[in-house]
Amino acid sequence: MRRRHRRAEEAEINITPMLDIVFIMLIFFIVTTSFIKEFGVDMSRPSNEPPKTEKLSEVIFVKIDDAGQITIKNRLTDIRAVRANIESGLALKPDASVVIAASRQSDAGLLVRVVDQARVAGAGQVSLVALAQD
Amino acid sequence: MDINITPMLDIVFIMLIFFIVTTSFVKEPGIDPKRPVAETSAAKPRGNILIGIDIAGNIWMNNRRIELNQIRQLVEDAVNENPESSAVLISDEQSPTGVLIDIMDQVRAGGVINIAISAIPEST
Repeated sequence: MRRRHRRAEEAEINITPMLDIVFIMLIFFIVTTSFIKEFGVDMSRPSNEPPKTEKLSEVIFVKIDDAGQITIKNRLTDIRAVRANIESGLALKPDASVVIAASRQSDAGLLVRVVDQARVAGAGQVSLVALAQD
Repeated sequence: MDINITPMLDIVFIMLIFFIVTTSFVKEPGIDPKRPVAETSAAKPRGNILIGIDIAGNIWMNNRRIELNQIRQLVEDAVNENPESSAVLISDEQSPTGVLIDIMDQVRAGGVINIAISAIPEST
């Protein structure tokens, strides 16, 4: 008698509370998930270690001064000519890396445009240094 | 009599796991500067450290204005939470480059190597 009773009772675990919790967690994660949709250009910053001297020749040096004027190889350059200049530099030295020395007062937008142009020209590594202040 | 809810449960659990795995709690910087436009701009799906810089060179993070020397601690905290963090600097077109360089140094000191500058991809 007792045995039969027990067997009838054993059958199911009540999963309703677990379901409640799972649904609440699901809703929480759905609501809080924000897929990041930030776009950007990669930028590297050289380490503070002293540069290897033999490598200095392998660098295309782009200078941006206070007024936002761009100088490549000591020649004043327009933003639209940056790409062509870097391309010709890379043709001579294919492994060269591009170093942008920007004045601290110049606009960040101009910097991004120069980096972008260097990337379009095919530069692999673009690093940013601050122009020493006079 | 009963409806079989097992398939629904399977799907609910899979969705739950998906959302748990993909959720990364982004801390919005609190400002929305006018970003520069760049042709080579690419999506940065791992960038969960967002640092905003306004025109005047003020630094914003986690919806409040911070000082340069606070960045390192905040970045270290973010790395402890998620070791694969990378940083995106959201800078205004007219922000001074000097602030940008200082921030990059601080972020690097905090242990994040991957740094990008936010830019709108050019729609051609």
